[in-house]
This record gives sequence, structure tokens and C-alpha cells, in this order.
Amino acid sequence: MRTRLSLAVLFAFTAAPCVAQTIQNPTLRRAQQAFDNLDYRQALTVGQAALRERLTGYERARAYELLGFTYSGMDSILRGVDAFKQVILLEPERELDPTKTSSKALSAFQVALTQVLVIRQLHVDSVTFIGGQGAVAVRYTVTQPARVVARVVSGQTSLKIDSTVASGQVNIRWPARLPSGDPVPAGDYNVIVEAAIGQNNFATSLPIRISHGAVDTLPHLTSLPGYTYLPETEVPPKSWRPMGLASVYTGAALAGTAALSNGNLGSTSLREGGIIGAGLVVAGFVMTLKKPAPQAARGNILYNQLLREQISRRNTEIAQENTRRRQQVALNVVPLPRTGGVR
Amino acid sequence: MKRRRLSGLAVSVLGVLLTAQPLKRLTAQHFSIGPEVAFGDYREVSSDLHYRGVGGGATATVTWKKWSAHVAISKVTYKPTSDGTATQQFDAREVDVRLRYYVSGPISAELGFVNRKADPEFEAQSMGAITAGAHMGYLLGPGVHMALSGGLMFGPRFSGGGTISPLGALRLGLGLTVDALRGRLRFNGDYDFQRISRKTNDGSGELPAPIQQSLGRAGIAVAF
Repeated sequence: MRTRLSLAVLFAFTAAPCVAQTIQNPTLRRAQQAFDNLDYRQALTVGQAALRERLTGYERARAYELLGFTYSGMDSILRGVDAFKQVILLEPERELDPTKTSSKALSAFQVALTQVLVIRQLHVDSVTFIGGQGAVAVRYTVTQPARVVARVVSGQTSLKIDSTVASGQVNIRWPARLPSGDPVPAGDYNVIVEAAIGQNNFATSLPIRISHGAVDTLPHLTSLPGYTYLPETEVPPKSWRPMGLASVYTGAALAGTAALSNGNLGSTSLREGGIIGAGLVVAGFVMTLKKPAPQAARGNILYNQLLREQISRRNTEIAQENTRRRQQVALNVVPLPRTGGVR
Repeated sequence: MKRRRLSGLAVSVLGVLLTAQPLKRLTAQHFSIGPEVAFGDYREVSSDLHYRGVGGGATATVTWKKWSAHVAISKVTYKPTSDGTATQQFDAREVDVRLRYYVSGPISAELGFVNRKADPEFEAQSMGAITAGAHMGYLLGPGVHMALSGGLMFGPRFSGGGTISPLGALRLGLGLTVDALRGRLRFNGDYDFQRISRKTNDGSGELPAPIQQSLGRAGIAVAF
């Protein structure tokens, strides 16, 4: 049992965010060595001695964490909770890996979380939106019921974005606007969240960068999706109508000539009319064989007209929208790496 | 001689002006002009005076909105046929002018005049008359038009005198135009039949002296 607990603690330590920071203090190292050798009494004695020495914040947090694990392993839960409270105050974002930590230590850590007032997991989403039409999502977790005030600060500018009594996770949507309604100026800001309950208070901050950009305008439409122009002319099917009409016209002319001719002047000459009429019939025959001339398709013309009017109307709306967009500003909010801010 | 050169120059200048006309100004109007071959059959008074001939001519058309004008001039040398008794050939110079106004559907109204001069003067009747009638056009296919026309000739005047009844002078026509080279070139053929029930009176009473002509024209025209 003790072996499993030690291995779990060892994993927890190695999983801790200490990639860039290492333990330099020799006393703390000896305490860690004693804990690794399952000599809990020695680990307690040396660990407490290390806390009386000059330690970095990281080393101090590791020392208290070592005591927390040791007390939990020795079934001294209250002392373990006290040690973990110090860890949480020193490193509010500290989390124990539940797969690599004993249940005793985990429960002691959870109890410790409910007994200190800290703001954890302050997070601002990267977002780009048009000023006045969107909001920045801010969330954090407060460990105890407290009056929490969230502000955005840059130089002399301080904007209160939320004030509430809350416990647990809190979600805020900040429209990034000044009291006048204008978008906040571009620059670096700090999102500061302060929690207070009685004499206890805690504050944390997260730097963000707000930049301004032009709002994308909409392109004009040349067509409506799903709608295409229809041909305004259509070729009628082939028919013998040209040949028939040419024959009728020629026949009418020749018959008229014959009918109108004066009988006293001899037999009617149909030579001239026959030649021209033959040409006409030949032309009619050729036109019968040839692809007919395209004719206006009235329905398609009306459809295209409606489509053009619709596109024109939509483009007018787009032009108005673009005029409005050119007067707007696109806000780009990006969280910056945290540089501290716990007090 | 000088007169001929001057008229040739005038025609050239007119041609240059027409072709130099900016196309934009011509979009609302169409103009075509070109030479023709004419061939005809002419009869007068009785079946004995029967002539047939061939000649040349020219035609010009102008279209503007609902209006169009058609001018055809021709000179046909008529020769006596073997089945008649005439011995002397003659030249018939004819000017045919028609102004059309589009009415509705295929129908246009026509108004114009026709003038034909015979040379030598006494071999055949010279005549002139006002023409009025209707023109029925139809588009056979892309660039191919045909037309049937008919009408009356009013107030004819004859070099040899004579009168006609109000419905005594009739005309009938058949036409074909084929556009080529995107409408720049136009082949055309026209048939024109005239029957004039002329009567003369030398004091012994009215005698019939009818005139009948069948004239065919085929040619090519340049369109602007």
C-alpha cells in the first residue's frame, strides 16, 4: 500500500509543471529522497526544516505538496489539507492528476480547495468580431462563495465588466465597448478578477491584446446560388412550314398572274414568275432542312428579368451593408502569456 | 459628256458618304444598294404585239423603324417574239418607287409610283401611275425573307392616250431576299406583274388596248 502511494506521489511530482524549474535546495532534496524511500517521518522532519530555509516560490510549493502527500499517506488528513491549502495559495492553478494520485491525497486536495479563496482557471477566448456585434468570452472558477469583480485595465482606463456573488465556474460575455458605446481602443489590457469574502480577498489577472482591423466587405453578386440564367432564345423543332409557305406564296403569285392575265393578249407568260418562284421554293426547301432560326423564349426572358432584378436588389442591399461595414471596426482579442498577477 | 462625268462623280460621293457614315448612326436604319439583271415579257393591245427581253438595273432599299422605301430602276430591251407580228425592238426604262409602312403581323401598306418609258417612243406605250397596295412579308429562316404584294395603279397616263376603269390597273408581286455575310450582302429576286385594261377612243367608240408586263429581277446588293 505504501509502495503504491509512493509511486503515485512520484508520478504526481514528475507530472508537475516543473519543466523549467527544478529543486535546488539540498534540504528539500533530502526530504524528497526520504519520501521516495518511504521514510515518511524523515520526510516530514526534513521537509519542515526546508520550509524554514530560504526557498523559491516553486520550491516552497513543492515542499508543502510533499508534506501534503506525506500527511495523506500517514492518514493525517487535516494536516494534509492544511499543507495543500498552502500549495493552492502559492499555485492557484495547481491540479493533481487523478490517475496518478492516491485517493486520500486527492480528497485532501479537494477539501483544501473549498477552504481557501482563490480564482482559478481564468481564461479569455481568442475571438474576432465586429465592434458592437459580438463579445469576448471570459470564464474563471472561484473556489468559495464571494463577491467577484472583473475589470479590464489598461493604463488609466479601467472598465468594470462584471460584479457578482458567485461560487464555482463563472462565464462572462464582455462586448469590448466603452461606456459611450464605442469599441475599446487597441492595445494591451489586463483582465483582473478580484474576489472578496470578509477579510479574505484574492485577485488574478490575464493579459490580453486587442487590435483593430477593417471589417470585410461583401462581394457583389453576379449570380444567385442555385439559379442560372436561361437562354432567351430557343430553336423551334424543324418543320416543313418554310417549304410550305414558299410554295403557297409562289402558287398564289402564279395563280394570280394567270387569273389576272388578259385573255386577248394570248397565253399567260409564267416564265418570270416561275423563275423567281422556283428560287423561293428552293430557299424554302433549304430553310426546311436548315436549323430553324432561334425564337425569343418569352418565359425565359421574364425569368431572366426577375433574376436580374433580384440580383440588382441584393447588390443594392450589399452596397448599403458595405457602406455600414466601412464605418465599423473588427476587434481581435488574443490572450497573452501570463506573467504573474497573484496576490 | 461633261454631264455624265458629273453624275458619276455625284454617285461616287454619295456612295462614299453612305459608307463613311458611322455605324452607330445606322443601327436604327438599314440601307442596301446593288445591281440587278432584269428579264421580262411585254404584251400590248393583242397577242400579236408580244415582246420578250433582258436588261439590267439597280435596286436600293432603306429601312427606318416601321418605314421602308424600295426603289428599282431597270432597262429592258424588248425584242419581238416569233409568235407575233411586231418587227421593231424597243427599250423600256422603268422606275418603280414604293414606300412601305409596317401595319401589323406580316402586313405593310404600300404607296408609290411607277414610270415606264419606251424608246423608240412609238413602238410601245410609255406610262406613269400612282401605286397603292399591301405587302405581306414572312421570314422563311435566318436571313431569308419572302414577300407577296398586290395593289392597284391609279391615274395612269399613257403616251398614246387612253383611259382605264378605277380597278382596271392591277399589279402583283413576289419577292425573295437572302442575306449573306452577316447581312452585309443581300441576294434578291423580284417578280412584278402588271395588267392594265386600257381603252382608247379615236371617235369611233372605245376600243380595248390592254397592256401586260411580267418583269423578273434578280440581283445582289450591299447592305450597310
